[in-house]
Amino acid sequence: MSDQKIQETIAIDMRGQICPACLLVAMDTLNKHREALTKGLEKLCIITDNREATTTIPTTARNMGYSVTVTKIDSFYQICVGRFTPDK
Amino acid sequence: MLTASTFLIYAVGGLIGLLAGFLMHRSDYCVAGMFRDTFLFRDSFRLRFLCIQLIVTMFFFEFFRMLGLLPLYPFPLLGFASAANIIGGFIFGIGMVMAGGCVVGTLYKMGAGSVISAVAFIGLIAGSALYAEFHPWWASFAKATIFFPSAKTLPELFGVNPALLFLPTASISALIFIKWHKENKIVRQSEVKGYIQPWKTAVALALFALVSYVLIGMPLGITIAYAKIAAMIESLLIPEHFSTVTFFQLTPLNITHPSTGALLQGGAGPQIDSLWAIQFPLIAGIVLGSTFSAMLLGEFSITYKVPRRQLIMGLVGGILLGISARMSPGCNVWHLMGGLPILALQSLLFLFGLIPGTWVGSKILAHIILKQSMQPTGNN
Repeated sequence: MSDQKIQETIAIDMRGQICPACLLVAMDTLNKHREALTKGLEKLCIITDNREATTTIPTTARNMGYSVTVTKIDSFYQICVGRFTPDK
Repeated sequence: MLTASTFLIYAVGGLIGLLAGFLMHRSDYCVAGMFRDTFLFRDSFRLRFLCIQLIVTMFFFEFFRMLGLLPLYPFPLLGFASAANIIGGFIFGIGMVMAGGCVVGTLYKMGAGSVISAVAFIGLIAGSALYAEFHPWWASFAKATIFFPSAKTLPELFGVNPALLFLPTASISALIFIKWHKENKIVRQSEVKGYIQPWKTAVALALFALVSYVLIGMPLGITIAYAKIAAMIESLLIPEHFSTVTFFQLTPLNITHPSTGALLQGGAGPQIDSLWAIQFPLIAGIVLGSTFSAMLLGEFSITYKVPRRQLIMGLVGGILLGISARMSPGCNVWHLMGGLPILALQSLLFLFGLIPGTWVGSKILAHIILKQSMQPTGNN
Protein backbone atom coordinates (compact mmCIF):
# COMPACT_ATOMS: atom_id res chain seq x y z
CA MET A 1 0.00 0.00 0.00
CA SER A 2 1.22 3.47 -0.64
CA ASP A 3 0.89 6.55 1.54
CA GLN A 4 -1.41 8.13 -1.04
CA LYS A 5 -4.16 5.70 -0.09
CA ILE A 6 -4.16 6.83 3.52
CA GLN A 7 -7.01 9.22 3.80
CA GLU A 8 -7.55 9.56 7.48
CA THR A 9 -5.49 9.52 10.66
CA ILE A 10 -6.98 8.21 13.87
CA ALA A 11 -5.21 10.39 16.41
CA ILE A 12 -5.33 9.44 20.08
CA ASP A 13 -3.67 11.33 22.89
CA MET A 14 -2.74 8.92 25.69
CA ARG A 15 -0.35 11.16 27.58
CA GLY A 16 -0.56 10.89 31.34
CA GLN A 17 -2.75 7.80 31.28
CA ILE A 18 -2.37 4.76 33.46
CA CYS A 19 -0.25 1.85 32.29
CA PRO A 20 -1.17 -0.19 30.14
CA ALA A 21 -4.07 1.93 28.85
CA CYS A 22 -2.03 2.85 25.80
CA LEU A 23 -1.59 -0.74 24.63
CA LEU A 24 -5.18 -1.69 25.48
CA VAL A 25 -6.60 1.26 23.57
CA ALA A 26 -4.25 0.64 20.65
CA MET A 27 -5.30 -3.02 20.39
CA ASP A 28 -8.95 -2.08 20.73
CA THR A 29 -8.65 0.53 17.98
CA LEU A 30 -6.70 -1.81 15.70
CA ASN A 31 -9.46 -4.37 16.03
CA LYS A 32 -12.30 -1.90 15.51
CA HIS A 33 -10.67 -0.31 12.46
CA ARG A 34 -9.09 -3.44 11.07
CA GLU A 35 -10.68 -3.24 7.63
CA ALA A 36 -9.81 0.41 6.95
CA LEU A 37 -6.33 -0.01 8.39
CA THR A 38 -5.51 -3.13 6.38
CA LYS A 39 -6.75 -1.43 3.20
CA GLY A 40 -4.53 1.53 3.95
CA LEU A 41 -7.49 3.89 4.21
CA GLU A 42 -6.61 4.86 7.77
CA LYS A 43 -3.63 4.93 10.03
CA LEU A 44 -3.53 5.06 13.80
CA CYS A 45 -1.28 7.61 15.50
CA ILE A 46 -1.00 7.55 19.28
CA ILE A 47 0.96 10.04 21.31
CA THR A 48 2.15 8.79 24.66
CA ASP A 49 4.63 9.47 27.45
CA ASN A 50 4.69 5.78 28.36
CA ARG A 51 8.11 4.42 27.45
CA GLU A 52 6.96 0.81 27.64
CA ALA A 53 4.28 1.44 25.02
CA THR A 54 6.93 2.30 22.44
CA THR A 55 7.97 -1.33 22.57
CA THR A 56 4.74 -3.18 23.27
CA ILE A 57 2.57 -1.44 20.65
CA PRO A 58 5.07 -1.85 17.78
CA THR A 59 5.62 -5.51 18.69
CA THR A 60 1.89 -6.22 18.79
CA ALA A 61 1.14 -4.25 15.63
CA ARG A 62 3.97 -5.82 13.63
CA ASN A 63 2.75 -9.26 14.67
CA MET A 64 -0.59 -8.24 13.15
CA GLY A 65 1.12 -7.36 9.88
CA TYR A 66 1.19 -3.58 10.21
CA SER A 67 4.05 -1.16 9.70
CA VAL A 68 5.01 0.99 12.65
CA THR A 69 6.96 4.19 13.20
CA VAL A 70 8.03 5.59 16.57
CA THR A 71 9.02 9.25 16.67
CA LYS A 72 10.20 11.31 19.62
CA ILE A 73 8.39 14.65 19.74
CA ASP A 74 9.32 17.04 22.56
CA SER A 75 8.74 15.13 25.81
CA PHE A 76 6.60 12.35 24.36
CA TYR A 77 6.52 9.71 21.62
CA GLN A 78 4.29 9.34 18.60
CA ILE A 79 3.55 5.79 17.51
CA CYS A 80 1.94 5.40 14.08
CA VAL A 81 0.49 2.10 12.89
CA GLY A 82 -0.86 1.27 9.46
CA ARG A 83 -0.03 -0.03 6.03
CA PHE A 84 2.67 2.33 4.83
CA THR A 85 6.37 2.48 4.18
CA PRO A 86 7.84 2.84 7.69
CA ASP A 87 10.61 5.24 6.76
CA LYS A 88 8.26 7.80 5.23
CA MET B 1 28.39 -1.68 59.50
CA LEU B 2 26.44 1.49 59.09
CA THR B 3 23.97 1.09 61.86
CA ALA B 4 26.28 2.96 64.20
CA SER B 5 25.86 6.14 62.16
CA THR B 6 22.43 7.61 61.48
CA PHE B 7 23.89 9.98 58.90
CA LEU B 8 25.34 7.08 56.93
CA ILE B 9 22.02 5.22 57.06
CA TYR B 10 20.37 8.27 55.46
CA ALA B 11 23.20 8.59 52.93
CA VAL B 12 23.19 4.94 51.86
CA GLY B 13 19.38 4.83 51.65
CA GLY B 14 19.29 8.04 49.63
CA LEU B 15 21.99 6.89 47.24
CA ILE B 16 20.38 3.49 46.69
CA GLY B 17 17.07 5.26 46.11
CA LEU B 18 18.55 7.67 43.57
CA LEU B 19 20.20 4.87 41.60
CA ALA B 20 17.13 2.63 41.81
CA GLY B 21 14.79 5.43 40.68
CA PHE B 22 17.07 6.27 37.76
CA LEU B 23 17.38 2.65 36.63
CA MET B 24 13.72 1.79 37.09
CA HIS B 25 12.69 4.77 34.99
CA ARG B 26 15.15 3.87 32.23
CA SER B 27 14.07 0.21 32.14
CA ASP B 28 10.43 0.87 33.05
CA TYR B 29 10.95 -1.74 35.77
CA CYS B 30 7.33 -2.10 36.80
CA VAL B 31 6.58 -5.10 39.04
CA ALA B 32 2.84 -4.53 38.69
CA GLY B 33 3.26 -4.65 34.93
CA MET B 34 5.27 -7.86 35.11
CA PHE B 35 2.38 -9.77 36.71
CA ARG B 36 -0.40 -7.84 34.97
CA ASP B 37 0.94 -8.36 31.42
CA THR B 38 1.24 -12.08 32.06
CA PHE B 39 -2.52 -12.25 32.65
CA LEU B 40 -3.72 -9.44 30.40
CA PHE B 41 -1.57 -10.02 27.32
CA ARG B 42 -0.14 -13.48 28.04
CA ASP B 43 3.24 -11.80 27.90
CA SER B 44 5.66 -13.00 30.58
CA PHE B 45 8.71 -11.28 29.10
CA ARG B 46 9.07 -8.76 31.93
CA LEU B 47 8.30 -11.32 34.63
CA ARG B 48 11.60 -13.00 33.73
CA PHE B 49 13.47 -10.03 35.17
CA LEU B 50 11.80 -10.44 38.55
CA CYS B 51 12.87 -14.10 38.48
CA ILE B 52 16.43 -13.03 37.67
CA GLN B 53 16.37 -10.45 40.47
CA LEU B 54 14.99 -13.00 42.93
CA ILE B 55 17.58 -15.67 42.15
CA VAL B 56 20.53 -13.25 42.05
CA THR B 57 19.42 -11.83 45.41
CA MET B 58 19.07 -15.36 46.76
CA PHE B 59 22.62 -16.12 45.66
CA PHE B 60 23.98 -12.88 47.18
CA PHE B 61 22.21 -13.37 50.51
CA GLU B 62 23.25 -17.01 50.85
CA PHE B 63 26.86 -16.30 49.90
CA PHE B 64 27.13 -13.49 52.44
CA ARG B 65 25.31 -15.53 55.08
CA MET B 66 27.87 -18.31 54.64
CA LEU B 67 30.62 -15.72 55.02
CA GLY B 68 29.05 -14.69 58.33
CA LEU B 69 28.25 -11.18 57.13
CA LEU B 70 24.51 -11.43 57.80
CA PRO B 71 24.32 -11.80 61.58
CA LEU B 72 20.64 -10.86 61.59
CA TYR B 73 19.25 -13.94 59.82
CA PRO B 74 16.34 -14.12 59.20
CA PHE B 75 16.19 -10.35 59.21
CA PRO B 76 14.20 -8.25 61.73
CA LEU B 77 10.46 -7.55 61.31
CA LEU B 78 9.92 -10.92 59.66
CA GLY B 79 7.18 -12.76 61.49
CA PHE B 80 5.44 -16.10 61.37
CA ALA B 81 3.39 -16.99 58.31
CA SER B 82 -0.36 -16.71 58.66
CA ALA B 83 -3.53 -16.28 56.62
CA ALA B 84 -2.90 -12.53 56.88
CA ASN B 85 -0.04 -12.84 54.38
CA ILE B 86 -2.22 -14.51 51.75
CA ILE B 87 -5.13 -12.11 52.15
CA GLY B 88 -2.80 -9.11 52.28
CA GLY B 89 -0.99 -10.30 49.16
CA PHE B 90 -4.28 -10.79 47.32
CA ILE B 91 -5.48 -7.26 48.06
CA PHE B 92 -2.02 -5.91 47.29
CA GLY B 93 -2.15 -7.57 43.86
CA ILE B 94 -5.46 -5.91 43.03
CA GLY B 95 -4.20 -2.57 44.33
CA MET B 96 -0.95 -2.47 42.43
CA VAL B 97 -2.60 -3.19 39.09
CA MET B 98 -5.32 -0.59 39.70
CA ALA B 99 -2.76 1.99 40.84
CA GLY B 100 -0.67 1.39 37.71
CA GLY B 101 2.35 0.51 39.81
CA CYS B 102 3.48 -1.06 43.05
CA VAL B 103 4.85 0.91 46.01
CA VAL B 104 8.04 1.77 44.13
CA GLY B 105 6.51 1.84 40.64
CA THR B 106 4.22 4.55 41.95
CA LEU B 107 7.27 6.49 43.14
CA TYR B 108 9.34 6.38 39.97
CA LYS B 109 6.32 7.13 37.79
CA MET B 110 5.38 10.04 40.03
CA GLY B 111 8.97 11.23 39.78
CA ALA B 112 8.65 11.32 36.00
CA GLY B 113 5.52 13.48 36.27
CA SER B 114 2.60 11.02 36.39
CA VAL B 115 -0.43 12.63 38.01
CA ILE B 116 -2.19 9.28 38.44
CA SER B 117 0.81 7.94 40.36
CA ALA B 118 0.81 11.07 42.54
CA VAL B 119 -2.85 10.37 43.32
CA ALA B 120 -1.97 6.72 44.06
CA PHE B 121 0.77 7.97 46.40
CA ILE B 122 -1.83 9.97 48.34
CA GLY B 123 -3.98 6.82 48.36
CA LEU B 124 -1.07 4.83 49.81
CA ILE B 125 -0.80 7.21 52.73
CA ALA B 126 -4.57 7.26 53.23
CA GLY B 127 -4.65 3.45 53.09
CA SER B 128 -1.94 3.24 55.73
CA ALA B 129 -4.04 5.48 57.99
CA LEU B 130 -7.15 3.37 57.37
CA TYR B 131 -5.31 0.18 58.29
CA ALA B 132 -4.32 1.71 61.63
CA GLU B 133 -8.02 1.88 62.54
CA PHE B 134 -8.50 -1.88 62.46
CA HIS B 135 -4.98 -3.02 63.31
CA PRO B 136 -5.85 -4.57 66.72
CA TRP B 137 -8.50 -6.78 65.17
CA TRP B 138 -6.29 -7.73 62.22
CA ALA B 139 -3.28 -8.45 64.45
CA SER B 140 -5.46 -10.84 66.48
CA PHE B 141 -6.60 -12.53 63.28
CA ALA B 142 -3.02 -12.89 62.07
CA LYS B 143 -1.94 -14.35 65.40
CA ALA B 144 -4.83 -16.80 65.44
CA THR B 145 -4.07 -18.10 61.94
CA ILE B 146 -0.34 -18.71 62.23
CA PHE B 147 0.53 -21.86 60.29
CA PHE B 148 4.00 -22.69 61.61
CA PRO B 149 4.70 -21.17 65.03
CA SER B 150 8.31 -22.40 65.14
CA ALA B 151 9.66 -21.50 61.69
CA LYS B 152 9.97 -18.29 59.71
CA THR B 153 11.67 -19.70 56.63
CA LEU B 154 11.38 -22.85 54.55
CA PRO B 155 14.85 -24.12 55.62
CA GLU B 156 13.83 -23.62 59.27
CA LEU B 157 10.59 -25.49 58.65
CA PHE B 158 12.44 -28.43 57.09
CA GLY B 159 15.22 -28.18 59.65
CA VAL B 160 17.94 -28.07 57.01
CA ASN B 161 20.88 -25.85 56.22
CA PRO B 162 19.63 -23.06 53.88
CA ALA B 163 22.37 -23.92 51.39
CA LEU B 164 20.73 -27.31 50.77
CA LEU B 165 17.72 -25.53 49.32
CA PHE B 166 19.37 -22.48 47.81
CA LEU B 167 22.21 -24.10 45.89
CA PRO B 168 20.04 -26.48 43.79
CA THR B 169 17.52 -23.67 43.20
CA ALA B 170 20.23 -21.27 42.08
CA SER B 171 21.88 -23.92 39.87
CA ILE B 172 18.67 -24.89 38.08
CA SER B 173 17.75 -21.23 37.68
CA ALA B 174 21.16 -20.41 36.24
CA LEU B 175 20.61 -23.09 33.56
CA ILE B 176 17.22 -21.58 32.74
CA PHE B 177 18.74 -18.07 32.49
CA ILE B 178 21.44 -19.35 30.15
CA LYS B 179 18.73 -20.91 28.00
CA TRP B 180 16.80 -17.62 27.95
CA HIS B 181 19.97 -15.79 27.01
CA LYS B 182 20.71 -18.21 24.14
CA GLU B 183 17.16 -17.90 22.88
CA ASN B 184 17.40 -14.10 23.07
CA LYS B 185 14.56 -13.94 25.57
CA ILE B 186 15.98 -11.45 28.04
CA VAL B 187 17.07 -8.67 25.71
CA ARG B 188 14.91 -6.58 23.45
CA GLN B 189 15.29 -3.68 21.11
CA SER B 190 13.72 -0.43 22.21
CA GLU B 191 13.25 2.80 20.35
CA VAL B 192 13.12 5.03 23.44
CA LYS B 193 16.05 7.21 24.39
CA GLY B 194 18.38 5.99 27.12
CA TYR B 195 16.84 2.54 27.44
CA ILE B 196 18.60 0.24 29.92
CA GLN B 197 17.96 -3.47 29.48
CA PRO B 198 15.80 -4.56 32.45
CA TRP B 199 18.03 -7.52 33.34
CA LYS B 200 20.75 -5.02 34.26
CA THR B 201 18.33 -3.20 36.55
CA ALA B 202 17.30 -6.55 38.06
CA VAL B 203 20.91 -7.35 38.95
CA ALA B 204 21.46 -3.81 40.28
CA LEU B 205 18.38 -4.08 42.52
CA ALA B 206 19.64 -7.42 43.86
CA LEU B 207 22.92 -5.70 44.67
CA PHE B 208 21.12 -2.83 46.41
CA ALA B 209 19.19 -5.33 48.55
CA LEU B 210 22.46 -6.98 49.53
CA VAL B 211 24.09 -3.64 50.40
CA SER B 212 21.09 -2.75 52.53
CA TYR B 213 21.06 -6.12 54.29
CA VAL B 214 24.79 -6.16 55.00
CA LEU B 215 25.15 -2.55 56.05
CA ILE B 216 21.82 -1.77 57.70
CA GLY B 217 20.71 -5.20 58.85
CA MET B 218 17.68 -5.76 56.66
CA PRO B 219 16.77 -5.71 52.95
CA LEU B 220 14.96 -2.84 51.29
CA GLY B 221 11.60 -1.81 52.69
CA ILE B 222 9.47 1.19 52.11
CA THR B 223 5.90 1.06 53.32
CA ILE B 224 6.29 1.68 57.05
CA ALA B 225 7.48 5.14 56.02
CA TYR B 226 4.09 5.62 54.29
CA ALA B 227 2.40 4.76 57.57
CA LYS B 228 4.69 7.19 59.38
CA ILE B 229 3.72 9.98 56.99
CA ALA B 230 0.06 9.12 57.66
CA ALA B 231 0.78 9.24 61.40
CA MET B 232 2.48 12.64 61.08
CA ILE B 233 -0.49 14.09 59.23
CA GLU B 234 -3.02 12.54 61.60
CA SER B 235 -1.16 13.75 64.69
CA LEU B 236 -1.28 17.30 63.34
CA LEU B 237 -4.86 17.33 62.04
CA ILE B 238 -6.72 15.16 64.56
CA PRO B 239 -4.44 14.82 67.61
CA GLU B 240 -7.22 13.57 69.94
CA HIS B 241 -8.11 10.70 67.65
CA PHE B 242 -4.47 10.03 66.87
CA SER B 243 -3.67 9.43 70.53
CA THR B 244 -6.25 6.61 70.62
CA VAL B 245 -4.79 4.68 67.65
CA THR B 246 -2.64 1.92 69.13
CA PHE B 247 -0.97 1.01 65.83
CA PHE B 248 0.92 4.30 65.87
CA GLN B 249 2.20 3.66 69.41
CA LEU B 250 3.83 0.30 68.65
CA THR B 251 7.56 -0.32 68.23
CA PRO B 252 7.88 -3.52 66.16
CA LEU B 253 11.56 -2.92 65.47
CA ASN B 254 13.56 -3.10 68.67
CA ILE B 255 16.85 -4.93 68.34
CA THR B 256 20.52 -4.40 68.92
CA HIS B 257 22.65 -4.97 65.85
CA PRO B 258 25.07 -7.77 66.81
CA SER B 259 27.97 -6.33 64.81
CA THR B 260 27.85 -2.70 65.88
CA GLY B 261 25.87 -2.78 69.10
CA ALA B 262 23.69 -0.04 67.67
CA LEU B 263 20.05 0.00 68.74
CA LEU B 264 17.61 -0.30 65.82
CA GLN B 265 14.28 0.93 67.07
CA GLY B 266 11.18 2.12 65.29
CA GLY B 267 7.51 1.84 64.47
CA ALA B 268 4.71 3.35 62.44
CA GLY B 269 4.39 6.37 64.72
CA PRO B 270 5.32 9.90 63.65
CA GLN B 271 8.66 9.95 65.45
CA ILE B 272 11.93 10.15 63.52
CA ASP B 273 13.44 6.75 64.34
CA SER B 274 15.53 4.00 62.73
CA LEU B 275 12.75 2.95 60.38
CA TRP B 276 12.34 6.52 59.14
CA ALA B 277 16.10 6.79 58.65
CA ILE B 278 16.13 3.51 56.68
CA GLN B 279 13.02 3.96 54.55
CA PHE B 280 12.36 7.65 53.94
CA PRO B 281 15.64 8.40 52.09
CA LEU B 282 14.82 5.46 49.82
CA ILE B 283 11.42 6.94 48.96
CA ALA B 284 12.85 10.41 48.33
CA GLY B 285 15.77 8.95 46.37
CA ILE B 286 13.57 6.90 44.03
CA VAL B 287 11.37 9.90 43.21
CA LEU B 288 14.34 12.20 42.65
CA GLY B 289 16.34 9.60 40.71
CA SER B 290 13.44 9.11 38.32
CA THR B 291 12.91 12.87 37.97
CA PHE B 292 16.60 13.28 37.17
CA SER B 293 16.45 10.50 34.55
CA ALA B 294 13.31 11.93 32.91
CA MET B 295 14.78 15.43 32.83
CA LEU B 296 18.04 14.25 31.31
CA LEU B 297 16.02 12.62 28.52
CA GLY B 298 13.77 15.66 28.11
CA GLU B 299 10.81 13.44 29.01
CA PHE B 300 9.68 14.98 32.28
CA SER B 301 6.13 16.23 31.80
CA ILE B 302 3.02 16.61 33.91
CA THR B 303 -0.26 15.92 32.13
CA TYR B 304 -3.25 16.99 34.19
CA LYS B 305 -5.83 16.12 31.57
CA VAL B 306 -6.40 12.47 32.37
CA PRO B 307 -9.68 10.52 32.47
CA ARG B 308 -11.44 10.87 35.80
CA ARG B 309 -12.07 7.13 35.92
CA GLN B 310 -8.34 6.52 35.89
CA LEU B 311 -7.74 9.05 38.65
CA ILE B 312 -10.33 7.33 40.81
CA MET B 313 -8.87 3.94 39.95
CA GLY B 314 -5.39 5.19 40.89
CA LEU B 315 -6.67 6.52 44.20
CA VAL B 316 -8.54 3.31 45.04
CA GLY B 317 -5.53 1.25 43.98
CA GLY B 318 -3.27 3.34 46.20
CA ILE B 319 -5.60 2.95 49.17
CA LEU B 320 -5.69 -0.83 48.66
CA LEU B 321 -1.90 -0.87 48.46
CA GLY B 322 -1.59 1.14 51.67
CA ILE B 323 -4.01 -1.06 53.59
CA SER B 324 -2.68 -4.36 52.31
CA ALA B 325 0.98 -3.46 52.77
CA ARG B 326 0.27 -3.32 56.50
CA MET B 327 -2.04 -6.34 56.47
CA SER B 328 0.57 -8.55 54.79
CA PRO B 329 2.63 -7.08 56.55
CA GLY B 330 5.11 -5.75 54.00
CA CYS B 331 4.99 -4.79 50.35
CA ASN B 332 6.28 -6.46 47.19
CA VAL B 333 9.72 -4.91 47.71
CA TRP B 334 9.96 -6.38 51.19
CA HIS B 335 8.54 -9.81 50.33
CA LEU B 336 9.57 -10.45 46.72
CA MET B 337 12.96 -8.73 46.79
CA GLY B 338 13.91 -9.49 50.41
CA GLY B 339 11.85 -12.28 51.97
CA LEU B 340 11.49 -14.63 49.03
CA PRO B 341 15.28 -14.82 48.45
CA ILE B 342 15.64 -16.39 51.92
CA LEU B 343 12.46 -18.42 51.34
CA ALA B 344 10.59 -16.66 54.13
CA LEU B 345 7.25 -18.38 54.69
CA GLN B 346 5.45 -15.03 55.03
CA SER B 347 6.79 -13.98 51.64
CA LEU B 348 5.85 -17.27 49.96
CA LEU B 349 2.28 -16.88 51.20
CA PHE B 350 2.27 -13.22 50.13
CA LEU B 351 3.18 -14.39 46.61
CA PHE B 352 0.43 -17.03 46.66
CA GLY B 353 -2.06 -14.27 47.38
CA LEU B 354 -0.49 -11.74 45.05
CA ILE B 355 -0.82 -13.83 41.89
CA PRO B 356 -4.63 -14.22 41.93
CA GLY B 357 -4.87 -10.64 43.16
CA THR B 358 -3.11 -9.31 40.08
CA TRP B 359 -5.38 -11.45 37.92
CA VAL B 360 -8.46 -9.84 39.48
CA GLY B 361 -6.83 -6.40 39.23
CA SER B 362 -6.11 -6.97 35.54
CA LYS B 363 -9.74 -7.82 34.85
CA ILE B 364 -10.91 -4.67 36.66
CA LEU B 365 -8.36 -2.48 34.90
CA ALA B 366 -9.13 -3.79 31.40
CA HIS B 367 -12.85 -3.33 32.02
CA ILE B 368 -12.43 0.28 33.16
CA ILE B 369 -9.95 1.28 30.44
CA LEU B 370 -11.94 -0.17 27.58
CA LYS B 371 -15.15 1.31 28.90
CA GLN B 372 -13.82 4.84 28.91
CA SER B 373 -15.03 6.92 26.00
CA MET B 374 -12.38 7.41 23.36
CA GLN B 375 -12.45 10.55 21.33
CA PRO B 376 -10.22 11.28 18.33
CA THR B 377 -7.45 13.70 19.28
CA GLY B 378 -7.92 13.20 22.97
CA ASN B 379 -9.92 11.27 25.49
CA ASN B 380 -11.47 12.36 28.74
